Amino acid sequence: MNVVSRPFGDLTAHVVAFCRRLRARGLAVGPKEAVDALRALSSVDVSDRRECYLALRTVLTSRKDDLALFDLVFEDFWNPPQEAGDHGPQTPQPLENAGDGQAPPPALMEWLDEALQAQGEEPMPAYSPIETLTQKDFSAFTAEELNEVTRLVIAIARRVATRLSRRTRATQRSRRIDLRRTIRHSLRRGGEIIDLAYRRRKIQKTRVVLLADVSGSMDLYSRFLIQFIYALQHALGQVETLVFSTSLTRITEAMSEDDLRQALDEVAKQVPDWSGGTKIGASLRVFLNRYGGAMLTPRTVVIVISDGWDTGDIEVLERAMVELQRRAGRVIWLNPLLGSPGYEPICQGMRAALPYVDIFASAHNLESLRQLERHLAARQK
Amino acid sequence: MHPEITRIQSMLDAQGYVADQTLATSVYLAIQLRKPLLIEGAAGVGKTEVAKVMARALDTDLIRLQCYEGLDATTSLYEWNYQRQLLHIRLQEHSDIPLEVREREIFSEPFLLKRPLLAAITHHKAPVLLIDETDRADEEWEAFLLEVLSDWQVTIPEIGTITAQHVPYVVLTSNRTRELGDALRRRCLYLWIDYPVFEKELAIVRRKVPGINGELAQQIAAFMQFVRRAKLDKTPGIAETLDWSAALIALHRDHLDQEAVEQTLGVLFKQREDAERIRTQWLDHLLRGVEETSREPRPWSQQTIDRVAERVMPRR
Repeated sequence: MNVVSRPFGDLTAHVVAFCRRLRARGLAVGPKEAVDALRALSSVDVSDRRECYLALRTVLTSRKDDLALFDLVFEDFWNPPQEAGDHGPQTPQPLENAGDGQAPPPALMEWLDEALQAQGEEPMPAYSPIETLTQKDFSAFTAEELNEVTRLVIAIARRVATRLSRRTRATQRSRRIDLRRTIRHSLRRGGEIIDLAYRRRKIQKTRVVLLADVSGSMDLYSRFLIQFIYALQHALGQVETLVFSTSLTRITEAMSEDDLRQALDEVAKQVPDWSGGTKIGASLRVFLNRYGGAMLTPRTVVIVISDGWDTGDIEVLERAMVELQRRAGRVIWLNPLLGSPGYEPICQGMRAALPYVDIFASAHNLESLRQLERHLAARQK
Repeated sequence: MHPEITRIQSMLDAQGYVADQTLATSVYLAIQLRKPLLIEGAAGVGKTEVAKVMARALDTDLIRLQCYEGLDATTSLYEWNYQRQLLHIRLQEHSDIPLEVREREIFSEPFLLKRPLLAAITHHKAPVLLIDETDRADEEWEAFLLEVLSDWQVTIPEIGTITAQHVPYVVLTSNRTRELGDALRRRCLYLWIDYPVFEKELAIVRRKVPGINGELAQQIAAFMQFVRRAKLDKTPGIAETLDWSAALIALHRDHLDQEAVEQTLGVLFKQREDAERIRTQWLDHLLRGVEETSREPRPWSQQTIDRVAERVMPRR
């Protein structure tokens, strides 16, 4: 970066600091983008504010959603509302990962994200006005029955997984003629085409991302569903699992432990607030920013397991759902309460999320888990 | 403004493209930094046009690759001319040339069909490569494209590795029917083209529809601003505005009224439901908007339109 930065000195430092701030707000801005930003600025008239703004925006944003955020940070950074001295371009530090290419620890990133999102809300105890309803289905089992049911759940998950892969193969059977190889073979027969060479499209597997609510109002179900997830992951291989309540934790690795109980212990250890309050919107936002790029493709099925009781900002939830639906192939929302007679999705969070959900289903008993297969199989919208 | 940006803006202008500073800056940086430019925006806002005009402004060729679902490496990079190969094999059926030589012969450049990506790489002068509607191709192809964009070289097993002599200027467009991957996005500069504001649309109509009278042009531009506030399946873009203007002129209309609009609704709205929705729910509001605008002091601006819309358009 030295070559670029020399003629600008102070500007370089400011641009780097600006880039870091953008990144803190979730934009995909790394060292490479910072270098591009400097190159861009060296190509325009730096005394022209609008031109600088346009140049930086062209280089540092990469999707429409970035634009508003960029404007905000730009305004705040280069034109702070307070006195210019104390808040403006600050003494910058070198990009923390300019050299080693390592990302900052996930915990820190999450903390940053949350610091930006939490708007002075007190952590609330579990939101559970529906406790009595949970007595009916999964939660009605005794400890002994639970073991039996666990076995059943795992069996169902296996079946779901194998059927899924078989179905994939059947639809991909169509073969295409490989003309290049056909011609090559025919050479040896003086140009007579006798055998056709085929090539086959690679089998594309469904990728599943599971976002499970483990807050108080979901506690009973989630403990159960985690077992289902666990079995599914083992059978399917391509499942990413994350749990959330007031914050989000990726537990895919912990779930891969061979021993189920060990895995659950691991999860309990990792998740700081098993059974705390719920911030669905904020958690989804963290998911989109931190993992969205790697996990979401048009072939991804996202399954959210939650009752939709959000103690956070509903608008945050709605915005996150819009983005989730756009970036994933299909969004399935499993709400255990849906199985309760007379339940209607009237809580605010559920209502806000519903328009952006492709399939809204229950997950309160074994039958409903079986039906999950149908939803998983239809991969694309 | 940087003189080069001004130059590009006037070049775009000379080519008949009404470009604002945002667009000119992005095009300039794409040329200057030699990075692909990703342009997103609704259909009909002139994304594809940018590449065409850029090629003309740079005085180079435009190579266009239209994406579609199922587009694969073969169809976008190269293919062997099988018919020609077969014919050649037949012609040499009884010759004494050894097999290996014959094989080498039919897998050499004269038998190669260059598809857009290879054509761009082997072009004698850096061309503008337009990858249109990238969102329609699938992920696998996107990954393949990313590879081409980073290395600018391709390997053809029978011939060897071909490296670009001149790195093309790349413009990608997307209608956002599918979200493009982050890796591809990060490789590109980004430009979002929104529907034009009143002033810009008016300028475009005046430029592209020669002989239109000033009053009608202003009414059309105002009407379009109001129309885009209606809830429709397919909001009309600039292409529709221009078609509509041409249609109105062909019918010898010199101002907008109910009859003129109803007669030409099909030009503006490509979906029957939208046309119907406009006719039954919106037309009165839209025409009142145009009428009230004409009482506003001139010249009209986007602010004028916003003010009038506030009064006449139903709230969502």
